Amino acid sequence: MSRTSSSAGGAAAFLLVIFLLATASAFMALKVRTDGIARRKVPGSSVIYLPSGKFLKHATFGYSALAADLAYLWAIQYYSTPTIDDRFDHLDHVFSIISELDPRFSDPYEVGAMIAVQEARDPQAAFRILDRGHEKNPDLWIFSFQAGHIAMMKLRDFELAEKYFEMCMKIPGSPEFVPRLRANAIFRKGDLQTSWETWLDIYRTAPDERTRKIASNHLYNVKSTIDIGEIGKALTAFRERYGRWPGDLETLVRTGFLARVPKDLDDEDYVYDPETGDARTRISPWRR
Amino acid sequence: MKIRAIAGITFKEAKRDRILYLLFFFAAVGIIASRVLALLTVGDRIKIIKDVGLASISVFGVLMAVLIGTGLVYKEIDKKTIFTLLSKPLHRAQFILGKFLGLVLTLFVMTACMAAIFLALLFLHTRQFEGAMLTAIAYIFLELVLITAVAILFSSFSTPILSSLFSLAFYLIGHLSWGLELIIRKMKPGVGRTLVRALYTVLPDLENFNFKTEVVHGLPIPSAIYLSSFLYGVFYTAFLLGLAILVFRRRDFI
Repeated sequence: MSRTSSSAGGAAAFLLVIFLLATASAFMALKVRTDGIARRKVPGSSVIYLPSGKFLKHATFGYSALAADLAYLWAIQYYSTPTIDDRFDHLDHVFSIISELDPRFSDPYEVGAMIAVQEARDPQAAFRILDRGHEKNPDLWIFSFQAGHIAMMKLRDFELAEKYFEMCMKIPGSPEFVPRLRANAIFRKGDLQTSWETWLDIYRTAPDERTRKIASNHLYNVKSTIDIGEIGKALTAFRERYGRWPGDLETLVRTGFLARVPKDLDDEDYVYDPETGDARTRISPWRR
Repeated sequence: MKIRAIAGITFKEAKRDRILYLLFFFAAVGIIASRVLALLTVGDRIKIIKDVGLASISVFGVLMAVLIGTGLVYKEIDKKTIFTLLSKPLHRAQFILGKFLGLVLTLFVMTACMAAIFLALLFLHTRQFEGAMLTAIAYIFLELVLITAVAILFSSFSTPILSSLFSLAFYLIGHLSWGLELIIRKMKPGVGRTLVRALYTVLPDLENFNFKTEVVHGLPIPSAIYLSSFLYGVFYTAFLLGLAILVFRRRDFI
């Protein structure tokens, strides 16, 4: 009797195991099949309902730094998934949440700005992210430095770059080359007089010979740009009156178009080509 | 017949559980509070009512399934009534299935009541019957059925507190398992990727029952997914119940 009952129990257990294997195979196959069915999404739906970081911070029950880490890890995966077409729609919002959760976590500001510029092609979002980083961490120079770099290299907005580099150089610990980047931004925005004064100040306060040499080369470049500009104006006026280029630069002085022929910072003459009317420096400023 | 009797008793027992009414009260408050939340928004108020209403049905439904389901089998063992039951000509599988169906019936009644409040509130605002909401609610119910099976499985070998924790963890994993798909895409082919893929296939994917976004925004739902998701839920539930029966069969109560 007990043998019969035990063999019936064994058969039932065997059938149960078969049933488990069959149902497991079925649900796994269905999972693969269901994953293959494309479902429509609301644009940005994956992040559109993310609450503000200020609210979320209270909801993390004291684990806000951990929540920031997790949100950052998620953001990196999310923004490196090219199949999500609308992933950049709420870029600023996502990184603002991380900054609210852990304002001192500096990587998300830098990486968020990099994603905004390189991937989303949205420099304004990058500036918003970096400005937030600076606002929450006024003792860290990296955010204004990175913003200045984006303004200079990507936007070619030299006025904005100057503003950011000026902010950066005021922060203790900022690299010694930031004042030089600022001076270069001033030069490239076309304010030659201020650029001259800035480079002169760098030259005078240079801590070493290398910096002094760099400043000197830039001073040479600024002065030659100012001088060649003046010579160019005089040459144009001469050609308008006489219908030809002068034979040499002294002619401009004799005819009253120039008060005197300027010399470069090394007290050398500028090279003049009477065939084309071009004036230039004898040597490249960077090879002096 | 025996399963029906056990299911009937389980339903009556669940009806007397105060926690059921407490959760139903909070669910009703949540659904009605969506009207207040909608006042705070600028723009589409109906969307807020739909979102909060459907979320309340889903969240409180899951809490009902977990908090009642995890105690069902344990209570019988704790109060020693299991000895009386199993001394009768009743198979342990019938006991598990009866308990499961009794709780499913309870959840069906509760979901129907919550849905009625939600649809009535929606009707007051839109002056039309939003049939599409029933699709989302039906799949929420299917998810609750699966969660009930999970609760019964854990309840068959663990204490209610641990079972509740395990079941809620299962629920969370079910809604976050898509993260593994992202990891799979980033991994190089090899053993690690195969293992993660196997894990991803075995773990529950409760997002298959989530049609809330589609119905609220009126997005088209591919017809193939209805059947696929339904069968997925049925087979996963059957698997969990089979596992619960297997565990419960081997359990020694002395």
